[in-house]
Parts: sequence; structure tokens; C-alpha cells
Amino acid sequence: MIFAGIDAGSRSIKVVLYDAETRKVVGRGIAEQGVDQAQLAEALFEQTLEVSGFGRNQVARTVATGYGRGSVRFADSTVTEITCHARGVWQTSPDARTIIEIGGQDSKVIWIEPDGRVRDFAMNDRCAAGTGRFLEMVATRLGVDLRELSVISWASARPAVISSTCVVFAETEIIGLLASGAAVPDIAAGVQKAIASRVSAMAMRSVVPPVYFTGGVALQPGMCRALQEALETEVQVVQDPQFTGALGAALVAAAQ
Amino acid sequence: MKHCLLKPLSLDAWDDRYRELVSSGLIEPFYGGPLSRHVTASGDHRLERLRFDSSPAALRLWNFLLTENERLRKARAAGDRLVGAMKDLGTVPVMAYALEGLRAFYPDGTWWTPCLMEETDCLLPKAEALGIDASFCPVRAMLAAFQDGGHFPRPDFLVCSAGAVCDDFSAIAQRLEKLGFPVLWWEMPRRRAPEPGEAQVVLPGGMVTARELVDCVREELARVGEALAELAGQTPSDAIWNKAVRAANQVRGLLAELRRTVYHAPVAPVPALEMLIAEMLAIHYCSDREETVAVLTDLLDEARRRLSTRIGVVAENAVRVFWVNPVADLRAMNLLEEWGGCLCGSDFMFTHALDPIPEDMPPLEALARTALADPMVGPAADRAARVVREARAAKAEAVVVARIPGASHSATEGRVILEAVRHALGLPGVEVEIAPVCDAMQPTLAGRLQALLETARARRVKKP
Repeated sequence: MIFAGIDAGSRSIKVVLYDAETRKVVGRGIAEQGVDQAQLAEALFEQTLEVSGFGRNQVARTVATGYGRGSVRFADSTVTEITCHARGVWQTSPDARTIIEIGGQDSKVIWIEPDGRVRDFAMNDRCAAGTGRFLEMVATRLGVDLRELSVISWASARPAVISSTCVVFAETEIIGLLASGAAVPDIAAGVQKAIASRVSAMAMRSVVPPVYFTGGVALQPGMCRALQEALETEVQVVQDPQFTGALGAALVAAAQ
Repeated sequence: MKHCLLKPLSLDAWDDRYRELVSSGLIEPFYGGPLSRHVTASGDHRLERLRFDSSPAALRLWNFLLTENERLRKARAAGDRLVGAMKDLGTVPVMAYALEGLRAFYPDGTWWTPCLMEETDCLLPKAEALGIDASFCPVRAMLAAFQDGGHFPRPDFLVCSAGAVCDDFSAIAQRLEKLGFPVLWWEMPRRRAPEPGEAQVVLPGGMVTARELVDCVREELARVGEALAELAGQTPSDAIWNKAVRAANQVRGLLAELRRTVYHAPVAPVPALEMLIAEMLAIHYCSDREETVAVLTDLLDEARRRLSTRIGVVAENAVRVFWVNPVADLRAMNLLEEWGGCLCGSDFMFTHALDPIPEDMPPLEALARTALADPMVGPAADRAARVVREARAAKAEAVVVARIPGASHSATEGRVILEAVRHALGLPGVEVEIAPVCDAMQPTLAGRLQALLETARARRVKKP
């Protein structure tokens, strides 16, 4: 029996197909988010099914999550990212007690019980300064690819201080830093540090280890290091972090 | 036996319901009529996005709320003197309504006007043009309303507290004064615990403060009382103020009973939105104290009737949510229920007007103590303690702290409250910012509120 999870995020859409009998992921796909969110989700779903060798009639149930979950009209139900990320992480890392998820539009700290249920959560909601959008802006400003940004940051000896809590003002600061001759690796590392510091503040000094890091931004190794420093604890990146939400949605579908 | 679920009505559906009620003999007060007339006559377009309780009691509540402007103008025409009570802390309207020929109202309430009228009246841009921009609380709409005169008549007398109250409001009221609206200011000191050996006083709600603060506020209220009495052409006396306190407590008692009936019910018999509006009446009586009593009595009767006939307005498994702070867009209260929550308790920042005023002491002393018990005038930790106490009593499963964009008094206290709730009750909580029109933020709001409701629901399952 195949169950589908669709994570319609602000930056990308992810699909995971899960076989409840073998307990394995049997298909997955990812596509950039766009204007016609409903059509994009449908197209990605069809494509993932085709590539994985399944027909739509073999999918017993579909759950949508993510910011655009309401636009996934063919889903049987919708569940929030908090529940789905918790479920997805717990599947692969059942020892997880705190989950940090940084996505394109927001960031979250999720505390989970030993049985995988969400105990509590916190989300940023004021601006993009603690999110992947911040990294995108910086990458564009520095003229590098988003993935390169993390690699560049490894060369930093003294991360720059970014004090603004707003992306727009932070961009002004970065322009100032560039004008004053600050090294690009220091700016990249400074931005990661600023994001990590906001996540740490959101966690309210209540991080319970083990801590797992998920969401698209977790693909940036420099971010994991910055989080470890800010939280003063080990942070592990989950496997395929960009698919955790969709996996969680598929697992929720299987459980419903 | 299961409860019967009563669904809320859109404005259009209310028109049909209204016709049914009228044809079946509905008797309405003089301000009655179909709700949709407020859109056509006053441009309150935001009403079109709301969902309303279908009872005649709710119809009366809404009509009462939305006809305040007419009521004030009629009162003025009949010779009443109008008192604008700003940042009153549950005191000035109490005093004003004890004096023959005075009618107090709450210009601060105008901050809701742009929420109901969307952009049609442009109060917020007008306030910006008058020097108070979007970095301030939406209460700035009041400034423009004073200027254009369309939302309420120009008051004969304006009273405003200053000091340990809202900074935004103080700035706005000072601007108002500069624009030519004289204000009688009264000082509100910040509530503090007594120093060792210092004389102390127990306030309503159980907090303890220094005697000298109560003395200070009592003297300030005496000054306000003298001014009000002079306006009314009367001599202030304890007998007058005692009468005022008793009358205020009648409203507060009714509201307390309504809150108890609705919030403690196994399935809520009155929706969150109507409860918010009902609680708001306690502040200033919507310019008519006697009618407030009638409106609240109707609503309480309806709540009791529904309870006895097992009628509810939310699903039986709705998540019990304790809600902190009013919302700048009333639609948020509908969304809470549409997404599977129900209101089981509230601290809409009106608590100063909910607690009974002590009747076993001189009235100005009692009013001073009541004012000092206002959550706004003390540390956020005091308010957090009250929220914890009430959320526990309400058997809340989750807590929501709403933030009003630009409001200085709620900028950081949400975090203090949620930390206290987590620490003392172990409940999940979330802070949400709700703008005057929250449509564009609805996916974000849904992310937070729905996650909170899911989390609370998941916690119901017993651990293996």
C-alpha cells in the first residue's frame, strides 16, 4: 500500500511515496515552487509516480503539508509542518528530542516526546532574518551560488557581526561590510551566525539533546556548525533534510 | 448524548435568518435591524468576512455594538454631555455613569473601526498624515476619527491616564491635545510590591502593592471625579460613587456569569467572536449601561438555554484554547473555531473591567485599587501569573498570545506569558501577530494556530 506526502513549501515542493508494507520510501521528487502552486504540485506528483513506476490508483492516501498545503487540492487531508517534520525526523532518528527546521520562509524549534509526539514548538514570525530567504539574499548580494555560500564560510577566521534583525537592514549592513573591505567568507559566516543566533533565541535556552537539524537550509554544512556554536550542543543533520516534511506527511497518511 | 452543532452564519445568511425571525415575531430594541445594513449604511465591509452566531441575542449584541455612534449623537441631541474616557483602567466610565446627564464612551475603541471598515474610511493613513505612523498601535485610528468627526461626536470632555499605561496611547493622546482637544490627564503610577516595612494594600485579584500608590491613584480619581461632577453640575459624594460601583458590579457580575457559563461548558454554547465583543462591553458599556445589562442578560440566557438543550457552537473534541489579548482583525476569532479550537478562557486586556470592584470600602479607594490591579500597569510576570491561574482553572489545552502590530505594551510580554505557561502548566503555546486585516497573513496564521491545535490534540493520546 503506497502513501504519499507532499510538502508544498515556500521555495520548493517535495513529494515522497512511502510503502507501508516494506516501510521504505519508494519514490520522491522535488521541484521549485512557482505561481501556480496547485498545478506545480500536481505535475510533480504525477512525475514522481511515473518515475517510481506507480499509478495514481495505487496511492491509498495523500497528505499535504507546508505553507502551500491548502493549494494541494488532490490531497485527502492537510497537516502542519510541525507535525510532519516531527514525524519525519522521528522515523529516521527516534532518539531526537529537539528538532530545528529552517526553511525558505520560516524557522522552527520543535520539542518532541520520546514517543515522537510534539510536546511544544516555537516559530519565528516577524521577518525573514532567521530563514533560508536571508541566505538567498546574501548569496545573491555576494554573487555566489547558495550552496557555494556555505563552502565559502569555512574559510572564515573572524565572522562579521550582522546586528540587524531584519533582512532588508541586514542587506544594508552587508553592503557596508563589502564597502569597508570585509572578506566574503567572513560575511558568509557572519550571516550564518546571525541566523543561528535567532534560532537559539527562539529556543529560549530550552534545547533538549539530541538535537537534529532539518529543512532545506540543513544542506548547508556551515549552518549546522553555526547552530552548534549558538546552542552550545551537538547538532546532527537528518538524512535528506529537504524531504523530511514530505516523509512525515506520508507517514501521517499511512497512520490515518 | 451528542451535542447538536450550531454553525455560524455569514452576513448574507443572517439576512435570511433575520427575515425568518421577524416573521416569527422577533421583538427588537430600537437599534435593531438586519446586520447587513451596517455594511450598506456605514461601509463596515469587514463584516462581510466574519461569521456570526445565529441567535437573536447575538443579533442584539452586534447591533448594539455597531450603533454606538448613533446612540452618542442622539444623547448629545437630547442634551447629554459626552465624556471620552481614554485608558480609563475601568474607572472613568464607572464614575461618569453615576452622574445624571453624562455619557462616557471609549474613543480608543475606534482602533477597531479600520478593522471593520478595511480601507474604506482611511483612518490609518489619515493618522499617519497627522504624525502617528504604522510603528504605533492601530489605536492611532482614534486620532483621525477625532479629526473627521464621522465616527463619534466630538466629546465635551476628555479624560486620559498617563504613566504606567500604554506608551503608544500616551503619544497619540498628546498629539490629540496638540490638535486642539483638551485632555484632563491623570497619573497612573507603575504597580510595585511594597518595600519591607512599607504599608501595603491587597488589590482585587490578590496582588499586593504599596499603600502610597493606592493613595496617589485615589487622589487622582478624586480630581477626575470633581471634574466630571462639575461637568454634570453636581457635587461629588461617596453616595454617588457608591451607586456607580454597585451599577458597574452589576455588569461585571453578569459578564462573570457569562464567562463561567461559556468557558466552563463541555462544549462552548457561544462563539469566541461574540464572547470577545461581550467582554468589550464591560469597559465602557457601549455608551449605554442599562442596555448593556439587557444585552448581556439575553446572551447569558441563550448560553444557558443551549447548554440545557445540548447545543454547542464547536465540535465536541475542539481544543480548549486560552486566548490572551484582543485581535486587530476579528476574523481571527472565527478562524480559531474553523480550525478546530474553542475559547475556554480569555485575557483580552479588559480584565480591569471584569473583576468586581470592592463594595466594603470607600468607593474611591475601591476604584483606585481596581485601577492598580490592571495587568497593564504592572510587570508582565503579574499578568503571566494571572493567565496561568485562569488557564489552569479553565482546563486549557493550549494558549495563544495575540500581538497587535505596533502595540508597545504587548511587544515582549507574550514571551513572558508563554514561558510561564510552559513552566507552570506544561502547555503548548504560540504567539501570533494579527494585523488589522489579516487576510494576506492567513496561511502564516494557519501554520501557527493549526500546529498548536494539532500539538494539543496529539497530547490527549495517553503515552504508551
